[in-house]
Amino acid sequence: MIPEFHYHVNWRSPGVHPGHHRSARQGGGYEFAGHTLLTSNPDPRNLDIRATLHDPFEQLMVRTFRQRSAIPVYVVADLSASMGFRGTRSKTELLAEFTASVAYTAYRTGDFFGFIGCDSTILQDMLLPLRWHKGAAPELLENLKNLRPRGRSSDGLNEVVPYLGKRKALVFLVSDFHLTLDRLDTLLKALVRHDVVPVVLWNSAEFDRLPSWGLVNFEDPETGARRRLLMRPALREKISASFEKRREELGQICALHGREPFFLIDRFDPDELTRYFYRT
Amino acid sequence: MSIGLSAPWALILGITALIPLLKRGQAAISYPSISMLPSDPLSTMLDRLLRSSAAAAALSLSLGIAGPYLHEQWVERVGTGAHIVLLLDRSSSMNENFSGSYMGGRAQETKGAIARKLLAEFVARREHDLFAMIDFSAAPIYVMPFTQDRPAILAAIEATSGRGHGVTNIAPGLAMALDFYSGKPFTGSRIVLLVSDGAARIEEETRDQLRQWFQETQATLYWIYLRNPRSGRLSEKPVNPGESTTPEYFLHQYFQNLGVPYRAFEAENPEALQRAILEVEQLENLPLHYLEKLPRRDISGYCYAAALAFLALLLSAKALEVKSWPV
Repeated sequence: MIPEFHYHVNWRSPGVHPGHHRSARQGGGYEFAGHTLLTSNPDPRNLDIRATLHDPFEQLMVRTFRQRSAIPVYVVADLSASMGFRGTRSKTELLAEFTASVAYTAYRTGDFFGFIGCDSTILQDMLLPLRWHKGAAPELLENLKNLRPRGRSSDGLNEVVPYLGKRKALVFLVSDFHLTLDRLDTLLKALVRHDVVPVVLWNSAEFDRLPSWGLVNFEDPETGARRRLLMRPALREKISASFEKRREELGQICALHGREPFFLIDRFDPDELTRYFYRT
Repeated sequence: MSIGLSAPWALILGITALIPLLKRGQAAISYPSISMLPSDPLSTMLDRLLRSSAAAAALSLSLGIAGPYLHEQWVERVGTGAHIVLLLDRSSSMNENFSGSYMGGRAQETKGAIARKLLAEFVARREHDLFAMIDFSAAPIYVMPFTQDRPAILAAIEATSGRGHGVTNIAPGLAMALDFYSGKPFTGSRIVLLVSDGAARIEEETRDQLRQWFQETQATLYWIYLRNPRSGRLSEKPVNPGESTTPEYFLHQYFQNLGVPYRAFEAENPEALQRAILEVEQLENLPLHYLEKLPRRDISGYCYAAALAFLALLLSAKALEVKSWPV
C-alpha cells in the first residue's frame, strides 16, 4: 500500500480546475466572496435578500463564492551521482517511495502531479508531465528504483523553472543538498514563484552511523575527490557536528525562502510530513 | 666507503614508487558529502605517511633487488695479535740444569722444564696471538700449526717434557718455522721465538736460503739463548773464534745480518730466562698497525629490512581498513 499524507498550502490557487485548495476564483463553493448584481452573476439561487434590501439602487444582489481549486504538485528530484549513495538504504529507493507517496496523495487530493529529475541537465526520459495521474506512472517509479545516478553535478536544477509552468505550484525539491549555500540561494530565488518544500534526503550512514574506528577512503561520486580518514570517535563527533551545523544552515536559508526543510532520513514517515504541513 | 650495485637495471622498478603517490591503494567508498567532512590533520598526516611509506617500500625493494654492496676496502687496524712460532730445542743438553749438570728427563729444574713452564705462562698470557710449535734437535718435528686453541698449544708445550736427545741443529727448524708463514696473509707481526741452549754451524748455502726466506716472510727473530756459564757470551768475541767451537757467536753474527728485526736474550739462570721472556712479551705488546682488506659486503639486507618495516606499516593500515559500513 502506498502511504498517504495530507498537505495544505496557505496561498490561494489561481487554478480553474475544482479541487481541494482555497482558490482565488469565484465559483461554486462555500467560501463567501462578496455580493454582486444578479445581472453580472445570473444565479438566482444565491439571491441575498438582506443585501438586496440594503442596496440604495434597489437592484437584485446575489452572493458570490470562491471555489476550491486544484494545484499543481511537482516533485523535482536531484538525481546526480551523489544520490546513488547506499548507506542503510539506497537513496533512490527512498526517493521512489517518497515520489510514489506524493503522486498518490496528489491524486487522492485531486491535484495534478508532475515529476522532473535532473542531474547536470534535465533527464528527459524521467520527465513526467503535469497530469492528473491515478498514481504516478509505475514505470517511472520502477525506473527510479533501478536508477544508477551518475550525473557529475546537479546543475540541471537551475533549468527546472521553465518546466514548472506559470501557475504557482507546490514543489517538493528532493535533494541531498550537498551544494554550496550560494547555489542553494540562487536556486531557491529562481523558484520564488512556487511554494517550495525542500526535502533533504540524507542517510544516517553519512554522519551518524559512521564506523568508530578504522581507515576509510571516501570518494565523492560527483567530483571524484578522495579523502582518507582515520575514523575515531572524536572525528565521528566532528562529522556529526558538521552535519548538525549544515542542518541549521539549511533551515535558516530555506526558511528565508518560505518553508523550512523537511528532513527525509533513512525512512519516509508520511505522518511526519503531514505534521510538517500543519505546523507551518 | 663506496657503494656498488650488482644489478643496476632493477632500479627501473623504483618507478613503481610513483604509483602510491598517484593513487591510494585502498578501495574507495562512495560518499556523497566529502565537502561536509571537517578537516582532520591527523588523517591527512596518516594518509601522507602511508603513501610515502608505500613509495619508500617500493624504492627499498627495488634497491634491494639491485643488490647494493660496499666495495672491498682496506681498513687500518690496531692490534696486538702476533703469529708466534715457538721453536723449542729438544737436544739432550736441554735436560741439564743451568750449571751444566745432567738432571735426567723428568727433572723439574732442567733448562727444558723451566723453559716449558715459562713458555706455557707466556702462551697463557698472550690471548690474541696465534701460536705454532716446532721441536727440533737433529731434525725438526712438526708439532702444531698456527692455532688459537690454548689448551692444544699448552698440551704441545707439555708434550716436550720427554727426555731430549740428539744434537742442536737449528737450520732445518728455522726453515720449517718460516715455512709456516708462507701463503699466509700478513695480518700481524711474525715472530720466531727460538729457545735453545746452543747452536751449530749452518752451511753457507743454507744460510743464504734462510736469509732469503726471512726477508720474504719478514719474520722477527727472538733468540732466547739458555747459556751455560761455561759458554761464551754472544756479544763478546771469543778468544778462539771458530765455527765448530763457538758456533753461538757466529750464529749471532749471522742473525744480525739477516735483514729482519732480531734480538737475542741470554739467560744463564731461570730468573734471567723469565726476564727474557717478559722482555719479548713487552716488545711484542707494542700496538701493531696493519691494513686489513675487508671483502665487499652485501647490504641489500638493509634495504629488505627497511622494506619490511614499511610494508609492516602498510599491512597494519590494511588491517585497519573499513571496507563497508554500516555493518
